[in-house]
Amino acid sequence: MMKILIANRGEIAVRIIRACREMGLPTVAVFSDCDRDARHVREADQAFHIGPSEAVKSYLRIDAIVDAARRAGADAVHPGYGFLAENAAFARACADAGLTFIGPSADAIALMGSKTAARAAAVSAGVSVVPGTERPLDATVSDEAIATAADEIGYPLLVKAVAGGGGKGMRTVEDRGSLSSAIRSARSEAGSAFGDSAIYLERRLTRPRHIEIQLLGDHHGTVVPFVERECSIQRRHQKVVEESPSIAVSPELRRRIAGAAAAVARSVGYTNAGTIEFLLDENGSFYFLEMNTRLQVEHPVTEMVSREDLVHWQIRIARGEKLTIDPETALTPQGHAIECRIYAEDPDQGFMPSPGLIRGLRPAAGPGVRDDGGVTAGYTVPVFYDSMIAKLVAWGATRDEAVRRMSRALREYEVLGIKTTIPFFLWLMRQPDYAEGRYDTTYLDRLLAARNGQSFSELTDDEEDLAAMAVALDAFLRSGPADRGPATAWKAAARRDALRE
Amino acid sequence: MTFDVEINGRVRTVSVERAAQGGYRVTIDGRPHAVDAARVGTLGLSLLLDRAGISRDVQIAPAGRNGELLIRIDGRTIAATLNGNRSGRGAADAGGHAHGEQSVVAPMPGRVVRVLVERGETVAARQGIVVVEAMKMENELRAPRAGRVKDVVVGAGDPVEAGRVLVVIE
Repeated sequence: MMKILIANRGEIAVRIIRACREMGLPTVAVFSDCDRDARHVREADQAFHIGPSEAVKSYLRIDAIVDAARRAGADAVHPGYGFLAENAAFARACADAGLTFIGPSADAIALMGSKTAARAAAVSAGVSVVPGTERPLDATVSDEAIATAADEIGYPLLVKAVAGGGGKGMRTVEDRGSLSSAIRSARSEAGSAFGDSAIYLERRLTRPRHIEIQLLGDHHGTVVPFVERECSIQRRHQKVVEESPSIAVSPELRRRIAGAAAAVARSVGYTNAGTIEFLLDENGSFYFLEMNTRLQVEHPVTEMVSREDLVHWQIRIARGEKLTIDPETALTPQGHAIECRIYAEDPDQGFMPSPGLIRGLRPAAGPGVRDDGGVTAGYTVPVFYDSMIAKLVAWGATRDEAVRRMSRALREYEVLGIKTTIPFFLWLMRQPDYAEGRYDTTYLDRLLAARNGQSFSELTDDEEDLAAMAVALDAFLRSGPADRGPATAWKAAARRDALRE
Repeated sequence: MTFDVEINGRVRTVSVERAAQGGYRVTIDGRPHAVDAARVGTLGLSLLLDRAGISRDVQIAPAGRNGELLIRIDGRTIAATLNGNRSGRGAADAGGHAHGEQSVVAPMPGRVVRVLVERGETVAARQGIVVVEAMKMENELRAPRAGRVKDVVVGAGDPVEAGRVLVVIE
């Protein structure tokens, strides 16, 4: 029997606890100061405090987490995504402490964590990479040498961090004149974000689509790739909507991309869950971008169209079980799924974080809807971490049905007391280009720039009247003696707020 | 009972009275509506409008600061303030804060870019008070209500933590 410590928080910790409970496995949560009342703590079987709210003092503390596992008597660790999920030292520390790390080997994490080493692995597996520099360009490489390399690649190009991720340390360079300033700022950003200022150059494709292949590898040499996910809806290089399958990928192309992904994974002896990201250009050519050596945020869309549970499989693979998924079935989509990442952000204020007390929460439900939530009513979204509070997934027999279902579910989803990105997604689902699948990785930034900051929650005059009437009625009802109960609760809530300030 | 409700910079005057036949008569900017209202939980209102019985669901939540209310309608969320309280005491309660001192606080960690007011200055409700930069965004924090600036606790360039009091208004 395995007891699993989840070295994470928020929705992914809750997601993993759900899988463990379904498999009859006990769970251990870890938490920082501000997460004592967090949902993952309340749902786990055991929970241990690991430090102050700042992530570097808690969720990024390898020693504190390994110690919590020892105190809890856990024998396995699931890292989730983010935090220590792609940290080879953490995977090694778990192994050294006799804990099963539910993920790939430390060596695979280290190899694929270097973007240039990962590109080399792809090339030797016979997979095309976006044209670019083969070796890391550390601080000893002169600007002249970099400029010469850039001329060979051609402009426009991207400067990227070798240790990068999440768009950090990434710069677009239009021409030779702006190269050295882009290198300087990319180096400085990469240095502070990853502790490694090495960069590399990559040609920037015009209007590519982001296509990625989820795969699973067991410890018996089997690698199974799944139907592609498309994640081209990005804001400043961050994915916000993902779907599977991609409207741009034919069954024939799917076989080729999935085959390429599996070849790269096999060539490095990859085990457990991983994802290989590609760029797909307008001519149907695809290029290896990078590998994520962990479970991804958007894994639910793959689960919805494959009817497989990837977290169950991660645990079974870590226990040494053989993959029994039929490879043909894994490459045959059953319907269409879309995921929206719901953030505690105000889309009307440039997506500024909107942390605070969640006063009410009613996730969407009903046919074809899945809510992977990480919060509850009464919880205060802290300022210390990524502000994603839930992932809403809609499934449909067709893409059109999935889009309509997502709109319906977004309209239902009730989060009170803080601003969220729900109004933005409702607007996006109505955009004709989105509804028809005509988009690429530059689509959303162009669309948002053209809006000039117009509100996503625009109401008609009649709706504003309705809102004003509701506010007045609400105040009227609270003032009446017949409504003493709610009025008292309300005053108490107001008093609590006053104290918070 | 009459209320002033501000949404998107426009103030609407709304009066509410109980109707003889049940429900409420709600008059907005002179136009009357027959409304059946049912409270759902602490923050929800189910409204049935006029003879057609148009069903609308609205949630009204205090946003935690400045007495601002967040109104949710069909998946969209807008801010409203209830600042007039001509004949009832409910308005004051719903706003959360009506008298005494009020603080303008940093909603998240950041840096003060500009302070727009001075000690002793008289300010109007929703007047810009401090500009704070957080996550590379400049954000103007406004006065929760009209009053006089009692204290300016921070200056331009100061780093601030979430919840830090920046300016006190009395």
